[in-house]
Amino acid sequence: MNDEHKKKVNQKYEEQLQKGERFWPDAIYKDLLVSFALFILLIGLATFVGVHPEPKVDPTDATYVPRPEWYFLFLFEFLKYFPGELEWVGAAVIPGVLVMALMFLPLYDKNPFRHNSKRIFAVGLMSAIVSGIVTLTLMAATTMSNLVAVILGVLVAALMFFSLYKEVPFLQGAVRKAVLWVMTIALVGIVGVSYQQTAAMASDEEEVHVASSIAEKMTLGQDLYSIQCVECHGPDGEGGEIVGVTGIEDGTFVKSISSKDEMYTRNDGSLFDIVSYGQPNLGMPPYGGSYGGSLSPSEIEYIVTFMRYTWDDRAEVPAEAAGAAIPALAEGEVPSYEVHVSAVTKRQCLSCHREGKENNDYLMDTYAGILDGGINAPNVVAGDMNSILLQTIQGVELSGNDGEIIHVMPPNGKPIKDEYIDIFIRWVEAGMPETADDAAALSTEVVPVAEETPSE
Amino acid sequence: MFKNIYAWLDERLGFDDLYKGLLDRPEPHGNWWNTLGSASLFLFVMQGVTGIFLTVYYTPSPDHAYDSIQYIMNGVAFGWLIRGIHHWGASLMVLVVFIHMLRTFFSASYKYPRELTWIVGSLLFLLTLGMGFTGYLLPFNQRAYWATVVATNIGGVVPGAGPFILRALRGGTDVSALTLSRFFSAHIWMLPAALAALIGVHLYLIMRHGESAYPDADD
Repeated sequence: MNDEHKKKVNQKYEEQLQKGERFWPDAIYKDLLVSFALFILLIGLATFVGVHPEPKVDPTDATYVPRPEWYFLFLFEFLKYFPGELEWVGAAVIPGVLVMALMFLPLYDKNPFRHNSKRIFAVGLMSAIVSGIVTLTLMAATTMSNLVAVILGVLVAALMFFSLYKEVPFLQGAVRKAVLWVMTIALVGIVGVSYQQTAAMASDEEEVHVASSIAEKMTLGQDLYSIQCVECHGPDGEGGEIVGVTGIEDGTFVKSISSKDEMYTRNDGSLFDIVSYGQPNLGMPPYGGSYGGSLSPSEIEYIVTFMRYTWDDRAEVPAEAAGAAIPALAEGEVPSYEVHVSAVTKRQCLSCHREGKENNDYLMDTYAGILDGGINAPNVVAGDMNSILLQTIQGVELSGNDGEIIHVMPPNGKPIKDEYIDIFIRWVEAGMPETADDAAALSTEVVPVAEETPSE
Repeated sequence: MFKNIYAWLDERLGFDDLYKGLLDRPEPHGNWWNTLGSASLFLFVMQGVTGIFLTVYYTPSPDHAYDSIQYIMNGVAFGWLIRGIHHWGASLMVLVVFIHMLRTFFSASYKYPRELTWIVGSLLFLLTLGMGFTGYLLPFNQRAYWATVVATNIGGVVPGAGPFILRALRGGTDVSALTLSRFFSAHIWMLPAALAALIGVHLYLIMRHGESAYPDADD
């Protein structure tokens, strides 16, 4: 670059300043307006979209699919094309070269011209790079086929190139400006869609419930407790003699874990450790992922929260958590599977009557399963007080289809609460309605209260 | 009276000179694309302000990071808003800085005499990405943890220097408490300090050379 050229550039700039504008107030109002718009946008995003909740770190969960922030997604996708030995080329060499090329651009771009029609190579190259980034981001973040992503990416680049190139006859003046704006908005739109899709994919794959309040933690904790702990420790942590639990000798005695002694002498940290590590000398297996169990740190924390706020008389239960998990029945009200029965089975039965347990294939996690599951179906017959389900929970032993004895439920001989038995009886009497609407239609009185508090 | 106060302050601070030097500058005709630089600066300030508020409650240790953020989201008045703005502001800042860079490229504003402005600007872009990368780990949830494990692993495949890069990033062989405190320190002190300093240089260079004019067919 010679001095003559520099002089020309400076001279021209002076001229442009002469016929230009003032920073204040001609330009700055635009700056302020855009910044203000961004501020409003941020408040809107924070308020109406929020931050996607994620569970606590669980270093043992090898099934977790890691996902970087959306603006690194293209790099992540790019790396997939450099497997094994070549990974360092995609990870270090190519990005490194590109970053260097970007940073030192003015030092090697010796083309003295500034108008885009005189720097076709530069504009074309940058359009191609943007196209690549857009394509790779779309591939990584959305479920669209690679072909569609490539087409969209190339389209972005082509429009960008031609509208910047400024020499295409049909892309002039207002049209050119419009295309540029549409491109930018499309770019922002693509970012939005990518973000949305990433979040959607994340929630599809993992199905993890993340609690934010103590009430939610208690509910999730009780759900987990009802599955994982209730067989040995009982629904209220009262313990007692263990009967019919796989892997533990019948007659083993478990002390109460809900007593004042227990609650006053152990803090949350020690409860967490016990659940996580188990009590190897007393027969309790470890539940934490780090020790071979199946629970994540978040899940154990929920169980501990449930225990603390349910059994410790010093804990102040938040008001929104005070509602009973299993809704009580009013006079003449007919219970439904949806609201009442599923709530009872979740707490009282599912611990054993689920996949992978000894239960004669009687799985109680669905409506159909309760009615017709297992080898002794039908388990309930509309209006029949001698239905197997009703008999066993009321302490009557029956013999099943294969001649084997169907034991009293629950197997430790301590019946479930009378009001729960009452729910089952009234449900069978009314013909086992599935939804709350069906049940309401069968009820003899108008009952507006109970249905408004479903268990979940 | 206000006149007197103003005159007294002006004598010592020089408002009029500031006004002439900073605001009453001539510049070529611009358009809306020219607002992206100041928008980036605005977002940087927003991130700084919300970030400072977040450090009041945030605890950079593996045992407490997650819970402290839960507390910010649920326990602190308007904590959800501050964190929401910080979370979304990060994404928006990367986007705005990137489009600002594209604009500068396509208007060829990086050419003489603004070469250094571009070089400093591209460093600012890299630092912004660095802020995104280090900030991503701080919530210390599943997503943050595993993304950092994978990303630092990628740093480790560089031939020769790989193992060193990996240990330097993680502060050990695994993503641990040391990684978290390293990223935290980088996120709230090192990178912002570098960013602020370079933003100063960037702005000085813009003042010195003036805003670039859009090229016409002769350029």
